[in-house]
Amino acid sequence: MLYALLIASALYLSRNIYILMLQLPDELAQGPIYRIFYFHLPGYLTGAACFLLTGVFSALYLRTRNWKWDSLAAAVTEVGLPFAIMNLITGMIWGRIIWGIWWTWDPRLSTALLSAAIYAGYLMLRRAIPDATERAKNSAVLGIFAFASVILTYKSNEWFRTQHPAPVLSIRTGGGTIDPAMEMMLGHNLLALAMLATVLVAIRWNQEERRREIESLRREALAY
Amino acid sequence: MIADAWKVAAKDLRSEWRTKESLNAALAVTVVLLLLFSFAFDPGAEDSKLWSGGLLWLVYSFAAALIVNRGFARELPNDCLEALRASPIPPGALFLGKAFAGFVLLLAVELAALPAFLVFYNVSLTWQAGWVAASFALATWGIAVLGTMFGALTVNLQMRELMLPVLIYPMMMPALVAAIEITGASIQRQAIPEIWLRLLTGFDIIFTALAVLLADVVLVD
Amino acid sequence: MDQRNFEYMCYGLIAAWGVLMIYVATLIGRERRLKSEVETLKKLIEEKSRHEA
Repeated sequence: MLYALLIASALYLSRNIYILMLQLPDELAQGPIYRIFYFHLPGYLTGAACFLLTGVFSALYLRTRNWKWDSLAAAVTEVGLPFAIMNLITGMIWGRIIWGIWWTWDPRLSTALLSAAIYAGYLMLRRAIPDATERAKNSAVLGIFAFASVILTYKSNEWFRTQHPAPVLSIRTGGGTIDPAMEMMLGHNLLALAMLATVLVAIRWNQEERRREIESLRREALAY
Repeated sequence: MIADAWKVAAKDLRSEWRTKESLNAALAVTVVLLLLFSFAFDPGAEDSKLWSGGLLWLVYSFAAALIVNRGFARELPNDCLEALRASPIPPGALFLGKAFAGFVLLLAVELAALPAFLVFYNVSLTWQAGWVAASFALATWGIAVLGTMFGALTVNLQMRELMLPVLIYPMMMPALVAAIEITGASIQRQAIPEIWLRLLTGFDIIFTALAVLLADVVLVD
Repeated sequence: MDQRNFEYMCYGLIAAWGVLMIYVATLIGRERRLKSEVETLKKLIEEKSRHEA
């Protein structure tokens, strides 16, 4: 079932690639390169949603002490990371063409990199703690701290001048800055990536639960 | 609660004063780093006033990692941490005491290394000195709270010394950036933007509150 | 299609897909490891219970 959904979202992504390559015109000023944006923004949104959920699941774990939330927090963080990396890499390639440089120390870029670093640290902490209870507890605390830190950093961002392009989606601008067909495409790809992320989270969640079972099996096998 | 926190802090500071192990190490590291950085970045260069504030706080952040690492690790021999957990001190107070001890130690190292920095890099911090002092206190408290919390999270790990820096450096970035901007503004004799002080205050309030709230979870069960 | 930065667009799209592919590959790898681990442990437990019996 899960794998069928995985294939379905892969097909959806391929269909989107086909349309955005062959049916949508080039952007006037930027040329073909702008197509990267169909992965840049949806990747960012998917990753951000995943990291947001890390904080929520961490708090839920501390409140209920239900293992489910711990596994879910681990799953969403791990799945969020590739999407965040996708956002960073596509952004860098776009910057190479439009700005002429791979990377600039712009607040938006720095904070995106920073949150990726924080959540990579979260995953490293999980691997470093052998005891399941302590792992769940300590990584949940870290999840909440990371959430606060990321929100604070993004808030402080508003005080900087940025050279990152301004928002284009209609909900942020009130419409008019983006062609409806392009925005439609953006929505389709966001949906595809979100679908893929959901499937991946479900798979990863299931794996995390099984890993916990393995830990108890191991205790049973090695106990005398 | 404040009285209990004070007892813990006083105990930590007393034992640190007797051995001076993390104080000496942190101070030595700061001076050596200031010396090393003077080769990487020419202190005589014309633009040195632009970046020397950032350099100072980088050096301090290295010292901070050394000091907060000791905060809870100090209690590991002889299972002192278990004894502290079993004692009637509330976890929030225990945490605050530890953080306060770290704050005092880190501030001491910062102040001791400051003359070396001012002399080596030929700058002065007398411009808006009151705000600079406030930013030192606020940033150091924020770093101490965050570092002590993460020290508690990683205290039982075998790779503690490796994990702690990986976790705290990205987390304390807002405080570091604010401190760097304020110190830099003072060195360049420019007006100090109020937003950085506000950011520091917000950082301290948010993380102190979170840490005290979550101290129960981290230290008790 | 305009040719001026077609090449970099391809890099971008390949990178976007590549990241996902790599992640799916690690997931599949972990799946395999988990399965083999469960089997080894089950065998161990079986042997143990036979030993005890």
